[in-house]
Amino acid sequence: MTESKTPASASAAPKTVKLKQPNQLLNFFGSMNLAVTLLMMLSIASVIGTVLKQNETMQDYMIQFGPFWAEVFNSLGLFQVYGAAWFILVLVFLLLSTSICVTRNTPGFLKDMKQYSEKLSRAALQHQPNNTTFDGAVTLERQQEHAVALLKHKGYKTKIHLRDDGSVTVAGLKGKWNRLGYFLTHISIIVICIGALLDSNLLLKYRELTGSLEAETRTVSLDEINQNSWLGPENMSFRGSVNVPDGQKTDVLFLPYRNGYLAQKLPFTVLNQQFRIKYYDTGMPKSFESDLILTAPELDEPIHATIAVNHPLYYKNYAIYQSSFADGGTTLKLKVHPLLSPISNPLELETAVNKVEPLKTPAGKFKVEFNDFKMHNIIPASDEEKALTGHKMHNNGPTIIFKVRNEQGKAWEYENYVMPSLQEGRLFFMTGMRESQAEPFRYLFIPADANRKKERFFKFLTLLNNPIKSMELFTAQYPKTADVSEKTYQLQTKLIQQLLALFRSKGFTGITEFANNNVPEAEREQVSDYYFGQTSFALQTLYLDVLKNEGVIQLHNDEISQFDQTWFEDALNTVAGLSAYGPPMYFEVASFKQIQATGLQITKSPGKDVVYFGSAMLIIGVFFLFYVRQRRVWIHIKPNAETKSGTTAPSSEITIAAKDNRDLPETTTEFNGLVNRVKKFNNSNINTSL
Amino acid sequence: MQTETYLEEFKNEGKKPFTLRDAAWIAFVILGSFYAWIQYGSLMDEYEIGILGGTTIGLIFLGRLWPSLQTLTVSVSLMVMLAIWTYSTHGDVITANEETFFLKFLLSSQSAIMWMSALFVMATATYFLALYNKSDFTYKTANVMVWAAATFGLVGMMVRWRESYIINFNYGHIPVSSLYEVFILFVVLTSLMYLFYEQRYKVRAVGGFVMLVISAAVGFLLWYTFGKDAHVIQPLVPALKSYWMKIHVPANFVGYGSFSIAAMVGVAYLLTERALRKNSESGFAKRMPALEVMDDLMYKVISLGFAFFTIATVLGAMWAAEAWGGYWSWDPKETWALIVWLNYAAWLHLRMSKGWRGTPLAWWAFIGLLITTFAFLGVNMFLSGLHSYGEL
Ligand code: HEM
Repeated sequence: MTESKTPASASAAPKTVKLKQPNQLLNFFGSMNLAVTLLMMLSIASVIGTVLKQNETMQDYMIQFGPFWAEVFNSLGLFQVYGAAWFILVLVFLLLSTSICVTRNTPGFLKDMKQYSEKLSRAALQHQPNNTTFDGAVTLERQQEHAVALLKHKGYKTKIHLRDDGSVTVAGLKGKWNRLGYFLTHISIIVICIGALLDSNLLLKYRELTGSLEAETRTVSLDEINQNSWLGPENMSFRGSVNVPDGQKTDVLFLPYRNGYLAQKLPFTVLNQQFRIKYYDTGMPKSFESDLILTAPELDEPIHATIAVNHPLYYKNYAIYQSSFADGGTTLKLKVHPLLSPISNPLELETAVNKVEPLKTPAGKFKVEFNDFKMHNIIPASDEEKALTGHKMHNNGPTIIFKVRNEQGKAWEYENYVMPSLQEGRLFFMTGMRESQAEPFRYLFIPADANRKKERFFKFLTLLNNPIKSMELFTAQYPKTADVSEKTYQLQTKLIQQLLALFRSKGFTGITEFANNNVPEAEREQVSDYYFGQTSFALQTLYLDVLKNEGVIQLHNDEISQFDQTWFEDALNTVAGLSAYGPPMYFEVASFKQIQATGLQITKSPGKDVVYFGSAMLIIGVFFLFYVRQRRVWIHIKPNAETKSGTTAPSSEITIAAKDNRDLPETTTEFNGLVNRVKKFNNSNINTSL
Repeated sequence: MQTETYLEEFKNEGKKPFTLRDAAWIAFVILGSFYAWIQYGSLMDEYEIGILGGTTIGLIFLGRLWPSLQTLTVSVSLMVMLAIWTYSTHGDVITANEETFFLKFLLSSQSAIMWMSALFVMATATYFLALYNKSDFTYKTANVMVWAAATFGLVGMMVRWRESYIINFNYGHIPVSSLYEVFILFVVLTSLMYLFYEQRYKVRAVGGFVMLVISAAVGFLLWYTFGKDAHVIQPLVPALKSYWMKIHVPANFVGYGSFSIAAMVGVAYLLTERALRKNSESGFAKRMPALEVMDDLMYKVISLGFAFFTIATVLGAMWAAEAWGGYWSWDPKETWALIVWLNYAAWLHLRMSKGWRGTPLAWWAFIGLLITTFAFLGVNMFLSGLHSYGEL
């Protein structure tokens, strides 16, 4: 607003020098330039907030920007722009500026809404944006009545002013609500800011400053949470989340704060009866919902409700939203297969997700952390499958995700599928391993046997792990023949034993390495070939024995099926990969019982209604501002002094002026229309009037 | 008092008489909505019935304000009815769109959208041709093309709405939920708003400029269709299953559309102004609307856009409160909406209160389009957040 338009500032002509100082400050704060500058500053700050990922860990920023810039950006608050002191300051300034602007303009605008300015002199009228003067031909009285009727007809409210010199001004005003628009929009900004302030965490910031509040950064059970991290009913507004397993209840909420969380005590208890996910046929989730029971001391009857995304439960000034889901401690029955053991002795383990189990093994002491269980692993289906089933997605079934940590703290993370999945037409049990979160899982494919189980694989592996038994088998199958000396036979069996051990520990690469290290270059190729042949032969012998035990074949030289042949090749690949699989254990899921947890978000937001109220004001105000034009018209009629009765028609001088507080092209068009009407009236009545 | 006599005399003048056409229009809209309610009412919740009622009233009002809209509505309705009827006579299976002539070549949502795209691109060229040859006929042709394109666009959207239910009843939703769908909404709304202003302010010479934005959007749409298969109808994620979508998204796109028109009028303004500066007798400038007209149009369009964008942002906040548990989370899309809003608030202040006019504001309106485009597209492309529909 240009200052000259403000009546307040116009009347504030400095009476004393003292008054001038605060006025200048007020002028500055209430100035349009400052307002626009602040609006632009807010925009730029917001851009930064969206371009720089907010609230990540300092470590991530270090990697992204290097330690120097990460530090600089951090001290500028760029990683938490919307909470940074300078950002709040801009907001406060905007609030101040708008308040001052409103207080200064309101009296003037209110007056403007009511006044018709009917007393403006003719000279003043001739200074209005639109004005014209011409001769009239009808009596003053008729002229005036026509003018009033015309303006009323056009929607103006009118006021008539008779002057001492006998002239009359008919003043019209229309669209005074426009001014209300200014008032509503600008007050609404203040209202919205107040609402937002009510919902901010100022109280927590204050308590933190005074030292009575501290974020909890550890993952511990409720009774171990730091006393200073608890919040009670004194916290007026919050927004936090909590996971509640099926069949369990909670009266505590966790609010993210700084780099940890705070625990908020709730005045009610929420019980999660059941969480459900429904799926589309594409495998995409269709809905998430939870059956809840809310109990509170002041409630006679608990509230039963089913919430879903977009359908929260409102209770008093709390709202409970379906926001996520998690595993709620699915119980697991596991078989831990020791991968190096020469006998079949899997360890049975009963545990659950979110538990940590110590394991003492010949390979060392470990801790196993069971992190997650997923019921569905949905991936895009292959083209053939799409053609066959018409489904676009394929479900690979449940997985468990867990970490094995050794005594030094090194961890291996695993993802084990419970059921076999089809790869190139064969069924495999997939198990993924990675040594850091940053890597993708590397998968080992354990071939399923004819019963879709892993039994054959572990039998074969155990046999391979057992040099004594495997040699017994081998020599029984291939006893010394007469043409071979005892010594050669001994050497040969020893070699086989060695080769098997090498294969077991490193696969065929182990054998290549062995040849490279022990055989002179000239003979290396030939000898390697021989080694490979011997190894394959020995492995086959063991495998055939496994098949014989299964009853698949009767004799070692029976024909074996294509399936059993491919299985063997797949198994060898898997055994070769075991050396890079981390600690020698495989966790098989024997059975599980899924327990889900619903992820609830619970809020208390006393500012919400204030913000909505402000928003409604804003919208109404904006429409008043844009679509109600405030218009004024003056029709000034001045009877000509020299008019002599009886000669010609009574004549007068008419001045019409108009003003629109929006300087729009249509104002002129409308003005001209009005002038033409008055002229026409005068022309058509020129002869009839007395 | 003579005043009353005059008033009596004036009473009926200037008032648009209530014609048979008006009556027919009101009856048509009411019957149409009633039919929709009978047919599909069982799928609506009370809010959606409210939205249907609001749409009915709004459409009656808009049609009377702008009679051309009546013709459009009737044509779109007839075409959509034909399409729905054809589907139903072919057993309501989606593959009917490959088998029947009407659907395959004209009225299935994909065909209609392709027609729309072609017509918009042709209209752009035709508008520029008209600017060049000053032919009234060429201008009229271009104008008809835009009308036809908008008709096909609307038909495409309505039929797509039905098709989503035909493909799988569970997928059914109003087609304003993915980036692909809102692009159609964008071009249709923008072209309709442009047509309104063209008629009202006689500014057809800026048509080519406005159509440039629309053509660019159509180009994106085609790339998105053929390059990314984005036109495939997908079911809704749970967060989008809400009646809020039906009002929040269209309100937003009235805003985006207005800002785009304003920017392109701004470009036309700048070119004209430059031509005049070089040569006050410039032939180009003579073909363009007067500078004041364009300046005024920019203001009018931006205020319309600002009003709707305000509503859309507030509705968005209310939806966020219901879906995510907080009315404001500084999510990138939200934040960029705020940036767009603050930008135009500053623009309006400078014009209203500082009395700025012309060139600087035309530049600003153009830059505003870049900001708006980032809010609309850039956020989806470069930033992640809760509004993760339609990632590229
Ligand atoms: C977030 C802050 C603000 C917003 C969103 C805002 C918004 C608006 C809008 C939309 C208009 C209407 C423009 C038009 O009529 O076309 C307007 C007008 C105006 N604003 Fe603001 N405004 C804000 C802050 C301020 C401040 C701090 C001042 C004080 C300098 C101010 C003074 C004015 C004035 C004097 C008008 C003109 C009213 C009239 O002539 O009818 N505004 N504002």
